[in-house]
Amino acid sequence: MATRSLPFLILAMIGLLIANLMFGAVSIPFKQILAGLQTGNEHYFTIHEYRLPRTILAMLVGAMMALAGALVQGVIRNPLASPDVLGVSHGAGLAAVFYMTFFPNADISWLPAVALVGSLVAALMLWWLCGSHSSTIKLAITGVALAALYASCIDFLMLVKPLEINNALLWLTGSLWGRGWNQLAMLLPWLLLIPFALWLAKPLNLIHLGDDSAISLGIKANKLRLASLAIAVGLTASCVAICGPIGFLGLVAPHLTRKLVGGRHQILLPATMLVGAILLLLADLVARTIDPPIELPAGIMTAIIGAPYFLWLLLRTK
Amino acid sequence: MKRLLVIALSTLLFGFSLIAQAVSVEDSKGTFSINYVPQRIVVLEFSFVDALAAVGVSPVGIADDKDSNRILKEIRDEIGDWASVGTRSQPSLETISSLKPDLIIADISRHEGVYADLQKIAPTLILPSRRATYEENLQATAIIGKAIGKDKEMQARLKKHDEVMAELAAQLPKGKEVQFGVARDDALFLHTADSYAGGVIRALGLKNANTGRSDDAYRQTSLEQLLTVNPDYFIVGNYVTPSIVDKWKSEPLWSILKAAKNNHIYAVNPNTWSRCRGIISAETMGQDLIKVFNAKK
Repeated sequence: MATRSLPFLILAMIGLLIANLMFGAVSIPFKQILAGLQTGNEHYFTIHEYRLPRTILAMLVGAMMALAGALVQGVIRNPLASPDVLGVSHGAGLAAVFYMTFFPNADISWLPAVALVGSLVAALMLWWLCGSHSSTIKLAITGVALAALYASCIDFLMLVKPLEINNALLWLTGSLWGRGWNQLAMLLPWLLLIPFALWLAKPLNLIHLGDDSAISLGIKANKLRLASLAIAVGLTASCVAICGPIGFLGLVAPHLTRKLVGGRHQILLPATMLVGAILLLLADLVARTIDPPIELPAGIMTAIIGAPYFLWLLLRTK
Repeated sequence: MKRLLVIALSTLLFGFSLIAQAVSVEDSKGTFSINYVPQRIVVLEFSFVDALAAVGVSPVGIADDKDSNRILKEIRDEIGDWASVGTRSQPSLETISSLKPDLIIADISRHEGVYADLQKIAPTLILPSRRATYEENLQATAIIGKAIGKDKEMQARLKKHDEVMAELAAQLPKGKEVQFGVARDDALFLHTADSYAGGVIRALGLKNANTGRSDDAYRQTSLEQLLTVNPDYFIVGNYVTPSIVDKWKSEPLWSILKAAKNNHIYAVNPNTWSRCRGIISAETMGQDLIKVFNAKK
């Protein structure tokens, strides 16, 4: 039953991949897409230099953020958890806004590196405060508190230096605009984390039985938690560094997937990657085509879908 | 030997002819060279539209936020129709590419992140616009003139601009203190001495109000802070009506403002004063100020 939805998800993703290549400010018929991959073709820039890397990036970022969300939810055992509770994306946001406001003339190509450092420092901060032996509740609450602290620092910076507010807000919303092969290349090494995450699927099932049962079944609960969270941090940090914190993706995608395929991590983890990819591909497609040539940030779209879903979730879990 | 000499000479001559055609200017990323007169220009900020219109060149595409009214009417009449390429903050690169431009003029502050992509579409001249002061804008305008093969016309236009500004300044009272700000629904931003509008005010022989710290071009200001600045003349561009300034008018503090007491508060088009930034808009701003100072008599 659970595996039956996988082919549909794969089909939906392929359909969206093609749609993302075909549609935009200028529609290009399906037949001409392949021709557009050759240099010298009139659509070469649009297809090969612009839509193709951006589409692949949307797929990967969507998948990685969703996977990170599923890992965090699996470990913290709370459906409202998401990578945001680790404070990683807010740490990245703070570093990026700091860089933009105090070095407005600095080279913008350093921004991903700065954001990456910010998010990793935020993760280390959380680890330093909680250690690897504390309860998940303490971890989540400390993470949320740190995230709030970073968010208030971001607000402070933007109030003090309102000149840079436009660029900063744009980055903080999360967008795929202007991201191409270079950014894709930056993301590729982080894909190595995915097999490790999938390898954790079985022990993650066991930890759902409760720590005592899991330990008696031979799972080193603390080590597993640390490994899962570290992988989630790596996945989130690399995505946020490149696209900015695209909201709600890590929360909504694993949830929807759990509804579709159930909670077994062997299926949940790959399926949630598909759902995440589908969501971000859809969000970016809508953001590009809703009112061309205006390009909305994809983060606005995920927030429009994600925020009501989150509220509904909150009301229901009461 | 003789043959070698001929070859050497002809290569040299060929080289010279290339150099003669090519124009090189310094932009924000180094040297920009172009060896033809661009016919299809796409511009990604309003100040560049102003520069093109000043020498009668029409761009094929403008990042106009999909609202043609954001371009001054004088400029719209000059350049005719164009295609929108989306917002200034995130222009649609595929629309730009579909216009097949042979020159793109981009803003270093907004578009540095996509500079490499823009260069794949067409040669890209990248200059300061969003954070630029009046003087930097004039320099950028002169550079654009060179790059589009209209150096002589642009120099003449810039000279005429100086004369127009001097004429306008002669009609304005010397040394009066004028402060400009844009008002949104929830915030007032003063444009300080470092901003474009601040520079135009000085160029017209007027004085900037003292806004305190001088490292920012735009400062968000509360009513109390505005009272500390307390300018003699206060020019407001309302992005929305009623703006925050309209709301402040009923507050007791408002009535102690010098400008409010003497009825020296005037509304102007925020587009001209804040977004456009260019020689044509500067001249329009001068005319606005003349209206302001004549209105009180």
